[in-house]
Amino acid sequence: MKKNGTSMAFYVPYGLWLALFVIAPVILIIYQSFFDINGHLTLANYQTYFSSGTYILMTFNSVWYAFLITVVTLLISYPTAYLLHYTKHKQLWLLLIILPTWINLLLKAYAFIGIFSQNGGINTFLGMLGIAPKQFLFTDFSFIFVASYIEIPFMILPIFNGIEELNESFVNASRDLGAKWWQTFTKVIWPLTISGVKSGVQAVFIPSLSLFMLTRLIGGNRVITLGTAIEEHFLVTMNWGMGSTIGVVLIVAMVIIMFLTGERKKRGRRA
Amino acid sequence: MRKFKWSNLYLILVFVILYVPIAYLILYSFSKGDAMNHYHGFTWAHYAALFADTRMIQIVIDTLLLALLSSLIATTIGTLGALAIHRTSRPFVKNTVLSLNNILMVSPDVIIGASFLIFYTALKIPLGFGSVLMSHIAFSIPIVVLMVLPKLQEMRQSMLDAARDLGSTNAQILSRVVVPFITPGILSGFFMAFTYSLDDFAVTFFVTGNGFSTLAVEIYARARQGISLEINALSGVMFVFALLLVIGYYFIQQSSQTRKAKHKAESEAKLNEATH
Amino acid sequence: MSHTIIELQHVSKRYGDTVVLKDINIEIEQGKFYTLLGPSGSGKTTILRAIAGFLEVSEGDVLFDGQRINDVPANERKVNTVFQDYALFPHMNVFENVAYGLRIQKKPKKAVAQRVESALKMVRLEGYGDREISELSGGQQQRVAIARAIVLEPAVLLLDEPLSALDAKLRKDMQYELRELQQRLGITFLFVTHDQEEALALSDEIFVMNDGEVQQSGTPVDIYDEPINHFVADFIGESNIVAGHMIADYQVEFNGKTFECADAGMRPNEPVEVVLRPEDLDITSTDAGKVQVKVDTQLFRGDYYEIVAYDRLNNEWLIHSTNPAVDGDTVGLTFDAEDIHVMRLNESEEDFDARLESYEGE
Repeated sequence: MKKNGTSMAFYVPYGLWLALFVIAPVILIIYQSFFDINGHLTLANYQTYFSSGTYILMTFNSVWYAFLITVVTLLISYPTAYLLHYTKHKQLWLLLIILPTWINLLLKAYAFIGIFSQNGGINTFLGMLGIAPKQFLFTDFSFIFVASYIEIPFMILPIFNGIEELNESFVNASRDLGAKWWQTFTKVIWPLTISGVKSGVQAVFIPSLSLFMLTRLIGGNRVITLGTAIEEHFLVTMNWGMGSTIGVVLIVAMVIIMFLTGERKKRGRRA
Repeated sequence: MRKFKWSNLYLILVFVILYVPIAYLILYSFSKGDAMNHYHGFTWAHYAALFADTRMIQIVIDTLLLALLSSLIATTIGTLGALAIHRTSRPFVKNTVLSLNNILMVSPDVIIGASFLIFYTALKIPLGFGSVLMSHIAFSIPIVVLMVLPKLQEMRQSMLDAARDLGSTNAQILSRVVVPFITPGILSGFFMAFTYSLDDFAVTFFVTGNGFSTLAVEIYARARQGISLEINALSGVMFVFALLLVIGYYFIQQSSQTRKAKHKAESEAKLNEATH
Repeated sequence: MSHTIIELQHVSKRYGDTVVLKDINIEIEQGKFYTLLGPSGSGKTTILRAIAGFLEVSEGDVLFDGQRINDVPANERKVNTVFQDYALFPHMNVFENVAYGLRIQKKPKKAVAQRVESALKMVRLEGYGDREISELSGGQQQRVAIARAIVLEPAVLLLDEPLSALDAKLRKDMQYELRELQQRLGITFLFVTHDQEEALALSDEIFVMNDGEVQQSGTPVDIYDEPINHFVADFIGESNIVAGHMIADYQVEFNGKTFECADAGMRPNEPVEVVLRPEDLDITSTDAGKVQVKVDTQLFRGDYYEIVAYDRLNNEWLIHSTNPAVDGDTVGLTFDAEDIHVMRLNESEEDFDARLESYEGE
């Protein structure tokens, strides 16, 4: 192919973007992580991170919350996606699943401040059943509930697409060979839709690590995640070095997740 | 038959959970009180307050402008990028570029925000509309690439050969064959980029200065101060806006699908006639 | 006496206003090779799916071994299917695909291995157990699909256009293999195809379908030689179909002349259709011919010439001849009385059979 003016036009803007907004920021955040708050080159940030129990605990907590959110979302989303696949007008229903994602996340979080508050919807409802008002806001439960609520559509979509791609004759073949519904599900449907589940898990788990706005609005600073810590270091205490260190840890965690859920090349598969 | 009903019940439950909070928000936007509890009777007052709030209206306009600009630019660069990746013949280069492309797709927002903040500070770029716009373009480009690339891969070499055979130059092939073919991908890329931009909070929060604010950042600031039913009124307006978009999108999709299905049925019928 | 294994009684299937099966009555006996033959949309695959249990019929009964199985789910029916697109599970290798049904039945490991191995041997794929499905050619995938179905030793094997994805040569080979396999296993095959040659070559019995109805059933020879109506005559093999009148028993008039024929039992002067197969027509001199036609075009088909000619009434005649003709020449066509097959208009299969009985029995 000739390298002429027009073909340069394809490469230059995109190449610039790759260099400036993908490679440079990653390098910069790693670079920044080696500086302390006074601008001295040091390994102290990493030392603090790994020696102080707080950061390790926070990391563990963060991963644990993200894990819970992912599991809750998956448990709700898989059956939903499966049942949606068999509805009439499924494209319409799917759009209704997508619609809430167009309402800004902050607005949805804000709604729950009202619903979960002392005099809010849930407690009014419980009151009608004769149950005393309970504290919902600023609990682990409310954080996981709201985060799952926000992430559900992002889990349903890839799973739905996975199920749509599943050839119906595989299901028929399995039944034909004597499998009951549950056997067909575990042996055929689930393995063949697992890639959709994996992308759903990716789409939910990673953002769940960084939901600092939710932890602030709903978790009431009780729930501290990696995202909250980074925001705190960058925008409140201005300790960019420590913030970057946490960021680097988060990047490493992310790479591990990607590796675990990523599509591995199937053995002997021909193109 | 019974099992069918249970499954419907489940779906209804999921939809109820998805929509109750939104309905709750909108319900209280019409309440006379000043908090989201105990409905105090109907009023338009919060909507009146919203439309009188010039700062809020300015922010809404800024947010839409930002979304439109960033998604247009991101779509252009992303489409060019997809074409570039598609032209690359060496698999190693291709895979590397694709992996790099996906970094921003899978990075947590705080990391993107923080690293961009370091980047702008290092280059002494002032924080404000410019830095936010650049960031939105940056995180929207990969999704455009991911939407356009499959369309390019669907395109058969024989089609390009046919265009060349019929006498088209490279530029003509691009403008008359390739671009029309990948237009659905470009449109959905644009659409996604627009949504990403409207929806973003975390990245904007990091890279916006004091002078510029988007809707999400403003809502966050106000929500931290407590409940203000003006925000509920805003939710109402945004929900109607989103609903209109969805309905429009659905009908465009439906009509193109039925048209396709009709054409397909017709051509299949013809084929059957021809073979028998 | 072989006994009936599957029976469809007054089976209909509707989707909304569209009727895809109209009052189907079929009996399938044990150990034979049956074919459902018809153009696409004729309902043949619907019958197969009704027997397999993938769809509920709107009316009528599906019987298996005399028992009504309408409400028995697919996984509990003693029939297995070879799917048109094979439906081999892509996440399992050949062995696991074939073993699938046995594993569902929780058969001991050793028995599974043995039976899979022998099923693979049956379809001439021994040693392919470790291969991934994507590594196999179309023909090999086809065999795995068959092995996966026969390993469960079904009473009836349903085959849904299994050869349609193969190329012509492979298709011919697989036809021989299928026939041989059926004879070796001794189980009933119910085969769906739109390819009349395939149906004629393979079957003990054929059901010709059109518009959701069985048009005619019988052995390949019966159906080829004595098609019941225009559709069957046209769909099976190639035919010259001309309008005529039955003058009396064994006397038919067409093309302005009266000919001797082998058919009887019709009303005098009844309007009929006359079928003459192209291979039964011989070219001779104009004077000796029973019909005079003008040669229009001809194609060399390898083992014969296919000649298109027109008579003076402008009817088209298709002739298969070992020798070429000269374009534009007028030639004569001869045929024997037995080569003429007379079809009544709108005759039902029962009436057709009864009429044949009445005069062939004499």
